[in-house]
Amino acid sequence: MSDVVIDISDARKRYRGGVEALRGVSLQVPKGGIFGLLGPNGAGKSTLVKILMSIVHPNHCAGTMLGAPIGHKPTLAQVGYLPEHARFPEYLRGGEVIRYVAGLSGISRAEACVKTEQLLEMVGMQDWGKQKMGTYSKGMKQRIGLAQALANDPEIVFLDEPTDGVDPKGRLEMRHVLMRMREEGRTVFINSHLLGELEMICDSVAIMDKGEIVQQGTIAQLTEKSRRYELITRGSMSEGLVQRLKEKGFQIRHEMGQDFMIVYESDPEPIQPILDALRGEGVTIVELRELRQSLEELFMESVGAGGVGGSRKGSTPPSLPRKEAIK
Amino acid sequence: MRQVFTILWDSYRLLAAKKLFWIVLFLTVLIAMMYASIGFTPQGISMLFGAYEINNDIIVEGSMFADYFYMMIFTNYLVPWWLGLFALVLALISVCPVFPDFLKTGSIDVAISKPISRQLLFLVKYLGSLLFVAVQVLVFCAIVFVAHGMRLDTWNFEVFWAVPLLTLVFSLIYSVAVLVAVLTKSTLFSLLVALLVWAVTLSVQWTESLMYKAAYVMPASGISIDVGGGNASKTNQELDANADIVGFYNIVRKAAIPFPKTRDLTYLLKKKVSVRGNDMTMMSAFLADEASASDVREAKATEDYDNRHSTAYIVGSSLGFEVFILGIACWVFVRKDF
Repeated sequence: MSDVVIDISDARKRYRGGVEALRGVSLQVPKGGIFGLLGPNGAGKSTLVKILMSIVHPNHCAGTMLGAPIGHKPTLAQVGYLPEHARFPEYLRGGEVIRYVAGLSGISRAEACVKTEQLLEMVGMQDWGKQKMGTYSKGMKQRIGLAQALANDPEIVFLDEPTDGVDPKGRLEMRHVLMRMREEGRTVFINSHLLGELEMICDSVAIMDKGEIVQQGTIAQLTEKSRRYELITRGSMSEGLVQRLKEKGFQIRHEMGQDFMIVYESDPEPIQPILDALRGEGVTIVELRELRQSLEELFMESVGAGGVGGSRKGSTPPSLPRKEAIK
Repeated sequence: MRQVFTILWDSYRLLAAKKLFWIVLFLTVLIAMMYASIGFTPQGISMLFGAYEINNDIIVEGSMFADYFYMMIFTNYLVPWWLGLFALVLALISVCPVFPDFLKTGSIDVAISKPISRQLLFLVKYLGSLLFVAVQVLVFCAIVFVAHGMRLDTWNFEVFWAVPLLTLVFSLIYSVAVLVAVLTKSTLFSLLVALLVWAVTLSVQWTESLMYKAAYVMPASGISIDVGGGNASKTNQELDANADIVGFYNIVRKAAIPFPKTRDLTYLLKKKVSVRGNDMTMMSAFLADEASASDVREAKATEDYDNRHSTAYIVGSSLGFEVFILGIACWVFVRKDF
């Protein structure tokens, strides 16, 4: 098995009615990590996942998933999936949902029963597995949804908005579950709007907008160009030193009796002589810190402030109504 | 195979969760028990396990007429009216939401993303829905089978023909509901269209049946109809068939070919079950020895009426309809983006 579990190129999808959901998407997902797919509403994220899960037929999609062509049904035996707004039969009990999905994946009944108990415990539902789905809260249903996605012991797990409707404690537990999946060597593919959560757990991300991938890589790679050092000092500097700092690219501003200096450097080495010079002039160094863009900043920079992400062929995407824009 | 069993098991769970299933099953058992309460004594017929007795000279314990009468209640009344109409409508109301619910976003995604072909998923889900009727009819037939064994001392397995026949009748109507559900995802719309198609097919079959009676059975019984004047008269002589009515009947018969034969399939049971070696369409075999020539002639005409369509025609044209409708539904299901 190669180091890439999903490798697709030129994925295109135009729905009836002319909406172009995907406009030549190429994507590589590395094996054994947590991959986040980000994008505004209508960017095409769910369409892309649905194409990989053979729920939506693409107009064109070259490439492979787990070494097999996209749409190859037997390969889906190694894939788990929690759809957005998942609905499970209310007449089934939590454990029965997991066994039902395991059965659809071809897992034997005996194996499914053992697996069900393990998964219920994993998602903290061991005391609720014999209750009907109709009695569950939204968060409990989502936990069962996560468990069913693992019923076939998959190599890749697709989770579409997995923390939707889950309370903060549940989200924390879910993060732990996702990290455990990564430790087990699975590849986790998450679609989510919750950038803060993704930033905490994702190894790599791709950002989609208007049916195209606009950025892709590890979070460290994507934020590298925004890497900078901020230096806070107290005490007056000579004119000569200020001039030298500006020549070296430092941005200096004075606020509340302190100087804030920012330099865009990926390497801390060139900063060392500056520190020596500051100390030489008796300036107090209050703080030196490395800064990077947050995922949210990166996301906003990538997709801009546009509205919905999908577009009709030959037209620009609709902008927000005036009232919404004012909000 | 494991996937097929999983879908069928889920269908059973779905049925078991529906209150209407248990209500219909209760009514089915109640009606079957009412049937089983009918018995025969040397004086005539007993009802409600002997609570009431009706004296009769012909239908008495051990007579061929008692056997025929008992089976006739099953084939001519209980099967066509309860199992073939009222219970079927209730089944349709109960099962109609299965596909629209299954096709909802968030529900279909999980099933369709599994390593099972869409064709197989569709067909097994469809077959699973037919369990509603199959189970009801099976329970009914089991009680009827035991009743026949206890009352008449004949263990007639042929009564179980009602299970495949009525399940096929239901499947014909349900296939229409499934097609509409796949196209619209609407429970109400699929139910209404299915009932409408059923009503149209019944109308066509009733028209064909009435036209046949007017064209052949009535003249054989000595009844002549004056179509223009709206009068009818009866003689003791067999009459020739009216050419105008025969011509109209032939048009209706041809028009009925593509329609599903829900009514004919229900009455096909009469050909499949027998009493003392004669199937239930052989009227002349059940006449008394002293029956008149006109009685025999009428019985023969009724036999011809009951056997006017071959089993192959009834089942074949119905299956053709079902394959066509289900084929379109399956094709749409396979190609659809969910």
